[in-house]
Amino acid sequence: MKFRDLLSMSVNSLRRRKLRTFLTVLGVIIGTASIVVMVSLGIGLNQLTMEQIASYGSLTEITVRSDAMWGGNNEEEPNYMTDESMEQIRRLDHVVSASPLLNVYVIMKQGAYEANINIIGVTPEYMAKIPLKEGTYPQTGSDELQMVVGNMVARQFYNPKSNSFSYYDDPSAIPDIDFMNQPMFVIFDTNTYYQSKNGATDENGSTIKPPKKYLIPACGLVEGTAEEWNNYSYSVYVDLDALKSQLKKVFKKNPIPNQPTNKKGKPLSYFVYDEAVVEVDDMENVSQVQKLINDMGFQASSNMEWLEQSQQQSNMVQAVLGGIGAVSLFVAAIGIANTMMMSIYERTKEIGIIKVLGCDMENIRNMFLIESGFIGFMGGITGILLSYGISFLINHFLSAQMLTGMDGNLSRIPPWLSIAAVGFAVFVGMAAGFFPALRAMKLSPLAAIRNE
Amino acid sequence: MAEKLQAEKKSVPIIQVKNLYKIYRVGDSKVYALGGVDFTINRGEFCAIVGPSGSGKSTLLNMMAGLEKPSKGEIVIGGTHIEKMTENQLVAFRRQHVGFIFQSYNLLQTLNAVENVALPLSFRGVPKKTRNKVAQKYIKLVGLEKQMNHMANEMSGGQQQRVGIARALAVNPQIIFADEPTGNLDSKTTKEILGLMQKIVREQNQTLVMVTHDNYIAKFADRQLHIVDGKILKIEEQHHHNTEEETGYENEM
Repeated sequence: MKFRDLLSMSVNSLRRRKLRTFLTVLGVIIGTASIVVMVSLGIGLNQLTMEQIASYGSLTEITVRSDAMWGGNNEEEPNYMTDESMEQIRRLDHVVSASPLLNVYVIMKQGAYEANINIIGVTPEYMAKIPLKEGTYPQTGSDELQMVVGNMVARQFYNPKSNSFSYYDDPSAIPDIDFMNQPMFVIFDTNTYYQSKNGATDENGSTIKPPKKYLIPACGLVEGTAEEWNNYSYSVYVDLDALKSQLKKVFKKNPIPNQPTNKKGKPLSYFVYDEAVVEVDDMENVSQVQKLINDMGFQASSNMEWLEQSQQQSNMVQAVLGGIGAVSLFVAAIGIANTMMMSIYERTKEIGIIKVLGCDMENIRNMFLIESGFIGFMGGITGILLSYGISFLINHFLSAQMLTGMDGNLSRIPPWLSIAAVGFAVFVGMAAGFFPALRAMKLSPLAAIRNE
Repeated sequence: MAEKLQAEKKSVPIIQVKNLYKIYRVGDSKVYALGGVDFTINRGEFCAIVGPSGSGKSTLLNMMAGLEKPSKGEIVIGGTHIEKMTENQLVAFRRQHVGFIFQSYNLLQTLNAVENVALPLSFRGVPKKTRNKVAQKYIKLVGLEKQMNHMANEMSGGQQQRVGIARALAVNPQIIFADEPTGNLDSKTTKEILGLMQKIVREQNQTLVMVTHDNYIAKFADRQLHIVDGKILKIEEQHHHNTEEETGYENEM
């Protein structure tokens, strides 16, 4: 028997009992919709968390810190994070790049304003990830310092004579600092600067002269307004190698602030980093790489730990929500089984007739399976449409901001969920119809020709 | 020439029943529904199995059609033993070789006349177009051109039984079984239906086995097997050309 004929017979007998079919389908609609909506809430919650975490930095990023620089351990040779250790990290499997961050705290001056700013020397790979609003990245290979300025750096500027610090409340009071076009003076030797400002004297009794100011050009601005926070908002980024040569030029043989010295108080011949950022090829390898870096004696941390934890949590929430939905689909399945049993009782004679006329037992079984599967299919499709409607209403009237403090849609139905839901509804329908179908298959054909 | 061919065909046995028993157990005692039946039905024959109710005639028909299993004995149809077939094989056998006419017509209420006639063909996997063409041909043959698209419940009993006959013929079976085909019809319609069946057996060279309790109806057949208490009482042969004129209708019920 052809599938089309089976299908048309099944659909025909469903159409014969419209009200009962409708009620059974309604059960499946409610069941499917409740599962889909519940799961969509779980997915939404999960993705919201993920988005939130990702907004604090890439999920494939590991931040490595070393406390050796602060005398964290008393070993003979402190475990400094140097260019050599960066090279070791780069050689690990799955590591795409490793960028040390060389933090230097400087004073910047423009016009009447000044600010304490953190300049970070980074590798070109790291630099390339910073989104720019205008300008370009610093030229690599040149010894001249060029700054990429964070979008909230201007908020750190103040006028030392006015003593007003009201910028945080009033954005319009943020000083109008022009990084790109006006000259920006940078003082690297902050100690000497403060000493000279306070009128301190050196060991010879002469007053300390203010340190040299350097005119450093800005080549780019980080994306965002002074109100929009991102990972790169508060710092000024420069090329690592250019920063190193600049520091050597400024301090010559003297110790560089923020860098450790040997036991005699002399600067080391190399730079020591207290922070580095390691980029891993895939989210799944983050924990593995993180562990290896920890074994090297550094403190590695990533958003993954946080993510894993919150994922576990939201998986549980999802399972609970899905379970609640599953109960109503289960009830719908009982409804399908009941409808199919009734239908078989009513059609005993008809089943007998087609059996006498030579309809294969398998065909009879399939006819009933198709019938119950079709109920599942109709319910599944309509249920999905209903779910999209409910999902829209949830997203429209229930703001995620209010419930979770996160922005974005609370209920999300990915395509795989709708396809899986329809498939599952069909499966549930057929499973519910299976035993009734077997029963129909085994009915005696004699029932049909028994005269009444 | 044609007569010779006819005669040859008639002598080919299509159904052979040998020493057939059907025993039901009721508590500790055995009830013989059929107690050793032997007969042969030839191709192109119209055969009636006649007997009072409870004589075992319906059981015999059911066994020949593969709806019931015999307790003992052989049934050979077209050279094939059917008594040892599984249920699946029996279904396939009915689909390929057997047509059925029921007392209560047994048309599917959801289908119209053409679809009902085409239904057994759909079990064979015949495409819709082809089977509807065949169905229309047989509906015309039974004289229902005007009722082709009527649903089953929109037709009279006689019309429904004509559809039933067309359905049995549509599969081009080796044998047609009819169980009290006129049991639910009035006398006038009974005559029409029987006449139609007679005509078809002759024109289509079909083999028809009909069960009835009515001796008058049985007279339309070429041969009558009289069964009483599970045994063949007598076999009557009659060559009637004008049955309808010769015999008046007497309802023996």
